[in-house]
Amino acid sequence: MSLWHVAWNYLWNRKLTTAMTIISVALGVALISAVLTLREQTQKRFEEEGQAFDLVIGAKGNPLQLVLSTVYFLDAPTGNMSRADFEEIAKLEDVEAAFPLGMGDTFKGYRIVGTDRALMDFTWGDRRPYELEEGRYFEGVREAVIGAAVAQDTGLRVGSSFISTHGFVDMPGAHAHEDKPYTVVGVMRRSGTPNDRAIFCDMESVWDAHDHGGEEAEEHAHEHGEECDHDHEGVRADITAALVKLASPALRFEYKDRINKQYNAMAAVPVNEIQKLYEQLLGTAKAVLLAIGYLVVVISSMSILIGLYMSILQRRRDLAVMRALGATRGEIFGAVLIEAFWVTVLGIGVGWILGAVVCYGLGMYLVAKLGFHVSAVALGPDLVTAYSAVLLMGLVAGILPAWQAYRTDIARDLAEL
Amino acid sequence: MVTMEGVRRTLGPGVVFQCDAFHAAPGERVALWGPSGCGKSTMLNLVSGLLRPHGGVVRVDGVDITGLSGSRLDAFRGRYGFIFQTFNLLSPFTSLQNVVLGMRFADVVPEKEWKTRATAMLARVRLGHRLHSRPGTLSVGERQRVAIARALVNRPKLIVADEPTGSLDPKTAESVMALLLELCAEEGVTLLLVTHDRAVAERLPRMHDCTELVKETVS
Repeated sequence: MSLWHVAWNYLWNRKLTTAMTIISVALGVALISAVLTLREQTQKRFEEEGQAFDLVIGAKGNPLQLVLSTVYFLDAPTGNMSRADFEEIAKLEDVEAAFPLGMGDTFKGYRIVGTDRALMDFTWGDRRPYELEEGRYFEGVREAVIGAAVAQDTGLRVGSSFISTHGFVDMPGAHAHEDKPYTVVGVMRRSGTPNDRAIFCDMESVWDAHDHGGEEAEEHAHEHGEECDHDHEGVRADITAALVKLASPALRFEYKDRINKQYNAMAAVPVNEIQKLYEQLLGTAKAVLLAIGYLVVVISSMSILIGLYMSILQRRRDLAVMRALGATRGEIFGAVLIEAFWVTVLGIGVGWILGAVVCYGLGMYLVAKLGFHVSAVALGPDLVTAYSAVLLMGLVAGILPAWQAYRTDIARDLAEL
Repeated sequence: MVTMEGVRRTLGPGVVFQCDAFHAAPGERVALWGPSGCGKSTMLNLVSGLLRPHGGVVRVDGVDITGLSGSRLDAFRGRYGFIFQTFNLLSPFTSLQNVVLGMRFADVVPEKEWKTRATAMLARVRLGHRLHSRPGTLSVGERQRVAIARALVNRPKLIVADEPTGSLDPKTAESVMALLLELCAEEGVTLLLVTHDRAVAERLPRMHDCTELVKETVS
């Protein structure tokens, strides 16, 4: 019978206290797990998506807003840029591919994105983010290819028609382009990317939806109110933004500077903007949540300490008997420390499972909101470090009770109790 | 087997334990008899190394245990078997595990023999049917028999028993004493048994009167 067995039996003998202590450790660990896993996973997914294109180009403004609106379809675009500038940039020597984007309308909150048919064939690495599940790609005006989440949420299928609404917010009273319905010609395979939440069509469809003439144009402009942020005159002269693939990622900053200087447009490196977002904003949130998690673990460590200390006081006679039977002081110290180890390890195990459940729930939310698939059980280096720190705290908490046990006075404890 | 010469231990202000000479031969079974507070349990603690004397010599099996370091004394204690008035079984463990723990901590029996020896020892104290029972589910007589099994399982040279029948009813005490004496005789083990009950003391071949061990000193 090993000391591990002895320690386990003593823990099992006071199941309720042990379970409460394990749960308190587990709550802290779950919080730490969820924060680290979600942070790591979302950043990884954001950065992966950000790597698809080297640059995004749009109207001058906030580069993060530009990236969020064009790569992740999360924010309003910064405005419009000149189509002529786009066509010139597309011909620069190191530009491997450039795709225009035209945005302005939505259907049930899902963004309608006008682009070139060629974007649908775009691949990077072994990923095919625009692969079709059924139907075909758009070929004519107001033909649409919808993302998997759009199809699931709206019930649209190949052959369905829908009416787009002006603006990026799905709100009652928004102007609907009722005279220009779209027809669904294809549904994309779920890719776990923002494309799942988008509706793609050709640029002409977007221009056509906003090409009003004379009185109709005036009326339309009034209806838009504040949600309207684009120029209706000569709509075909503008695009919302562009996605650019360069010959090498090493050229990103050179071309970003060049475009910012030479054109009336703003270029941004998506992955760079996302990293800045994580470092500045989410980094602080992560630090606060992690601090709370570690605080919970410190409090849990105190409960380990108090629980074990009380237990040692209650079984001074048992410890004295063990010493009388021949147990060394070191064995007694070790047995108590092992109890702290068991409680902490079990707390970490339960906490990891709880954290995975939380991540799974939040992951479902992220899939719905961002189109990102998040792995709930990823065990990254940050988590391994955090778990090691928790284990260390648990063992440190066990030292005082173990020392108390180490100092057992056999004769006194056998006589007094 | 056990020798005490000029052993002195201060128990408190003006109270001293003093044993000028005591000897128990190997295999001898001695009752340390006296009223409560006379110092007989202190004598037992000094013999077993649970207390250290402030003077004099205690020899057990030829070894002066007063000169042993703490760790050597821990190891040496494996040669003893302890039986307590309140049994002192470890409650989270079964009868079998309690007896195994006696071997595990004494570290004098190879691990591979632990289970078979413990099972056989429990059978000898007629508890073969309660191997997996925890102390809380045993009668007081059964608990003391488990304690006897735990004390004897290492085949110690010396058994120290402190009021082993003190918590038992007369009938159970009688059967436990009979068992203890029978097993000690079979094993040839030396037995020092503390009791305040003269009838119990008289069942052993020799009775040592402990009434004069604790003295008050004038400061």
